[in-house]
Amino acid sequence: MATPLELDNAGALFKLDPDLAPGKREIRSIYASPRLKTWIENDLPQLESTWNIELTPQEQLQAFIEEVFCPREPLTYDWHFKPLTHIRDGIWELKTADLRMFGWFFVKDCFIGSAANLTDTVKQLHLYRPYAEEAVRFRDGLDLNHPKFVPGDDPHAVVSDFSFP
Amino acid sequence: MPSFRISVSPSRRAAARFITQVRRAFQRAYAEENKKTGLTQSAIARAIGVHRSVINRELVGRKDITVGRIGELAWAMGRIPFFELPESPVEIGMMPIKSITVDISRAGPKPLTGVNQAIIDEWKKQAQGASIPFAA
Repeated sequence: MATPLELDNAGALFKLDPDLAPGKREIRSIYASPRLKTWIENDLPQLESTWNIELTPQEQLQAFIEEVFCPREPLTYDWHFKPLTHIRDGIWELKTADLRMFGWFFVKDCFIGSAANLTDTVKQLHLYRPYAEEAVRFRDGLDLNHPKFVPGDDPHAVVSDFSFP
Repeated sequence: MPSFRISVSPSRRAAARFITQVRRAFQRAYAEENKKTGLTQSAIARAIGVHRSVINRELVGRKDITVGRIGELAWAMGRIPFFELPESPVEIGMMPIKSITVDISRAGPKPLTGVNQAIIDEWKKQAQGASIPFAA
C-alpha cells in the first residue's frame, strides 16, 4: 500500500502541478488517474464551451485549480456558487461552468480524480452514477493506504476553507 | 516524478486568472451584501434592467461579464469597482523586469561635501534662512 505521492512516483497516479501566481502556495493538491491525465492532455484542449463564453473548458479548469483550489482560496462564498458537490460513497465532483471532474479525497485537501467530462454530456447522458461507480472501482483497485478516502458528504471535512466566512 | 501541468499559453493563463478573480470578487460581494442587507439577484436584475437569469449566469460563470457590466453590478451591489495595473514583482509577459531606480527629483538638492567649512558658513550667512541643506 502507498501514499498518493508514492503512487505518483510509481506511475499509478499523476500529480497535477499547478502553475501558481507569484506568492501563492499549493495547499490543496490534485492527483489524476491515468485515464484522467490522458483526457486532460488530449481531449480537454479540443473542447469548446457549451455556454459560448470566453474561457475554454481547459482554461476554466486551469483557472479553478490555480486560482481557487490549490492555493486554498475559499471554494464558495454562497450556496449559489458551489464548485464542489458530493455524489455518493465519498465520491465528489469538482465543477466549472463547462466541466465536471469526479473523484474522492484521500485526506483533507488531497483530491484524487478518476474522470472528467463536459457538464452537458454528463447531464444529457445521465453519467453521474456511472462516473461515480467508475471512481469507486478505480479507488477499490488502487493500492492506496487505508483509509482510502474521507467518508461522508460534509464539504468541510474534505477541504479547508470550504466557505467564506 | 511523473507530475503534469495543464498546458495553457501564458497570455491565456493571465486572462483566465483575471476573469476568475473578477467573477469571484462579485460572488463574494454578492454573498456579503445578501447577508448584510438581504440583496437578491432579482433586485440586482431589476436595478440594472435585465432578467434575473442573466445575473445568475454572470455570477456563476455561464455568461461573460463585460467591462460595462462590471460597473453596473458593482453599482447595484453598492460597491465601487477599483482597477489598477501595478508592475509585476517578477518577470512575466513580454516585458523584462524593470530596474529599480530612485527618483531624487523631489528630494531637494544634494548635500554639499568636500567644501571648505568657512566657505560654507559664508554661504549660510548669504542664504539667510534659505532652506539649502548643507552638509555638516
